[in-house]
Amino acid sequence: MTQTLSLPVPTKASKGDTGLTWRLAWRNLWRNPRRTWLTAGGIAFASLLVTLSMSLQQGSYDAMVSSATGFYLGQAQINHVLYEEEGKLEQTVAPADELRRSLEQVPGLHVAPRAQVFALASVGQRSFGAAVVGVDFEVEQKLVSFFDRVTQGRLPVDEGEVLVGEALARNLGAQLGDELVLLGTGKEGGIGALALTIAGLYDSGRPELDRSLVFTHLASVQNGFGLGDEVHAMVLGFDEIEALAPNLPRLSRGLPDNAELRTWQQLLPEVVQSIELDRISAVLFYGSILVLVTFSVVNTFIMIIFERTREFGMLLALGTRPGIIMRQVQAEALMMWLVGTAIGLLLSNLLVGWAAVQGIPLGMMEEMAAQYYMPSRLYPAISLYAMSLAPLVLLVGTQLAAFFVTLRVRRLKPVEALRAE
Amino acid sequence: MKLLFQLSIRNLLRNKRRNAMLLVAIAVAVAGVNASNTLLRGYQYGMLESAINNLTGHVKVMAEGYVDDPNVKHSFQLNSEQLPQLPVGMVVGWADRLRVPAVIMSERETRGIELVGVDPAKESISFIGEAKIEGEFLQGADDGRVLVGKELARQLQTAVGRRLVLIAQGADGLNRERGYRIAGTYDAEGTGLEKNYVFVGLNSLQALLETEAVTELSVRVDREEQRLPAKSALRAAFPDLQVKDWRELDPQVAEMFKFADASLFIWFFLMMGALTFGLVNSLIAAVMERVKELGMMRALGMQNSTVLVQVVLESIILMTVGVVLGTGISLLIYWSIADGIDLSAYAEGAEMVGVSSILQPVLLSEDVFLVAVMSIILGILASFYPAWRVIKIRPLDALRR
Repeated sequence: MTQTLSLPVPTKASKGDTGLTWRLAWRNLWRNPRRTWLTAGGIAFASLLVTLSMSLQQGSYDAMVSSATGFYLGQAQINHVLYEEEGKLEQTVAPADELRRSLEQVPGLHVAPRAQVFALASVGQRSFGAAVVGVDFEVEQKLVSFFDRVTQGRLPVDEGEVLVGEALARNLGAQLGDELVLLGTGKEGGIGALALTIAGLYDSGRPELDRSLVFTHLASVQNGFGLGDEVHAMVLGFDEIEALAPNLPRLSRGLPDNAELRTWQQLLPEVVQSIELDRISAVLFYGSILVLVTFSVVNTFIMIIFERTREFGMLLALGTRPGIIMRQVQAEALMMWLVGTAIGLLLSNLLVGWAAVQGIPLGMMEEMAAQYYMPSRLYPAISLYAMSLAPLVLLVGTQLAAFFVTLRVRRLKPVEALRAE
Repeated sequence: MKLLFQLSIRNLLRNKRRNAMLLVAIAVAVAGVNASNTLLRGYQYGMLESAINNLTGHVKVMAEGYVDDPNVKHSFQLNSEQLPQLPVGMVVGWADRLRVPAVIMSERETRGIELVGVDPAKESISFIGEAKIEGEFLQGADDGRVLVGKELARQLQTAVGRRLVLIAQGADGLNRERGYRIAGTYDAEGTGLEKNYVFVGLNSLQALLETEAVTELSVRVDREEQRLPAKSALRAAFPDLQVKDWRELDPQVAEMFKFADASLFIWFFLMMGALTFGLVNSLIAAVMERVKELGMMRALGMQNSTVLVQVVLESIILMTVGVVLGTGISLLIYWSIADGIDLSAYAEGAEMVGVSSILQPVLLSEDVFLVAVMSIILGILASFYPAWRVIKIRPLDALRR
């Protein structure tokens, strides 16, 4: 290699000339354009891959959380402190009406009271165990998607009507218009009973729910099982889940005795945990990709340094201090990183931006996705965090790579270096 | 050829530092892919294991209509002569069960559950055979006591030795009601199963429901692929019944199972994609610094194909050594986690994605082999471009450099 020497003889005056450092770094990079492109290509590949999959990941988590909470459980619930643990009939929240009215003062909040009792559900001679849930159908429809799944008939209108899962109806041999008898224990220990007309059938897509939950009006359950002005859950939700966190202090203020507010993180620990598991495995993946690319950057710099041993020797002989040479190489590493991440980020922003509008159809995996509370289209989340983490890690990686490789310059003896091939 | 091989090795040794870095990178990539494969396989097999254990078995025989309407009406008589002769070593075990929905009541609480009549001696093929039991396991098919899940017992606020009332529909469509004493509670590492299944002796349940029939025959085979011959044999033996394998019974898990297979390849190509940039870069540097000598040799009559072979050979040697190192590292990683990774802090999340709380890595020799072969093929492909660059330079120009 017989390029002209590109570093100036540094004098005290030129030491602070950073503009020159950058210009030289840029030129040095393009002394071997192919190598620069390949190294920058590796950086671009890694940052594209990691930013893209982080965005998709975050997008899938958001989708999971919003459809999991919007399916049936809601974004938060108010229950008796022991209800989750023991689920006893008498573990209620009261007075329900007053609490509901005060919660409805919070702007944008939907409040759905539910009372749930286990009972023996019979039609004619056939019986199955089921939970009968008393709800307010009007507000439930605003809060969760569960009640959009009516396949036959309609939602109950008057208090003597009931909504039954298709699977349960089939097992009971029941049809629309049949009478469903629900027999269970009342709150005071006596027998609680209801006879309701089947007004509609639903198919939630989850056979275990379809077999075990029947829905009627809140008042019917309260009257039939001796519950008075009590509910087992006050289900809460905003139109946008982001509104939940800032309102939490206000929601948990002034709760009745023995009642507690639980957010979706507590209601759906399996969702939180599976997100956590997925995050951990993703970190392994990102880690290995970034390590690999850093290695290839190290390799490139080893080549650069060895190739230019003579050039460095000359500079040292002319009195340049090793620190200045090292600074020069650091600047080159920075530029290489800039080119790589710029390309990577450009591509990944284009892709993410496109996918955020179009959504990525999950196609064949739809059925599987439904089980994990995923919608049929995936929208990546655009976030600064996802876009900046990989580039920052690579920045540190390339800088460290350049630094350790150029440490050699300090040990270089000008005379020997000049003789190197 | 031998000469070319020697030349390649010498050439590689000429620049030890650069090639050592490259080797490390290859080894990291190979080890990373292999290690993640063992975890992925572990996840996949764990998922399969849970799906099979969950009273499904590899193949199941049921009466027509039972899946939609799990009723004692949809049952069948089973006599042992009917069981097909399957090759020795293929079948691990089989179990016939009577499984019906029922209502369970303690003094305080009522729940809906599935009541499963089993012959305990045959249940080594399902999760209940291995579950931790508090109290006693069922003593035989005649045992008239029940085994309930720990979580269900907690919800019903009852305990071993106490009594429960079960209501289920008999063969005539009328409800039967009977009191049962709790023999023991089982711990299934996750509350989903514990809340759902209550076990009782098969003969005792048949007596209660006034039937001699069973609702399912579950067969477990030794290896997953054997489910297909087992299925055909069972189909021939039970022409009037539905015979399904676990993939048909549990399509979501089957989908995940196939997806895990695909992820192995996705992983490989992403990791190796990242590696290729560095590999091509180093190979180019390696040939470009020899442009002069290669030009000389070509001027003396060395053929272009020989140059190509030499570059490819260098790449293959590098890759092979890297693969060996990487495989070695991945074996070390595998041995260090072979006891399983404890996910019990995420038990519910793990249950949701269908695995047990201990992730047991699985090392398949065919996976390791596949990764090795694909890496070397990739090494060959990656060396074409550098070789082509060198060949493109005319020997005369090369000599003048």
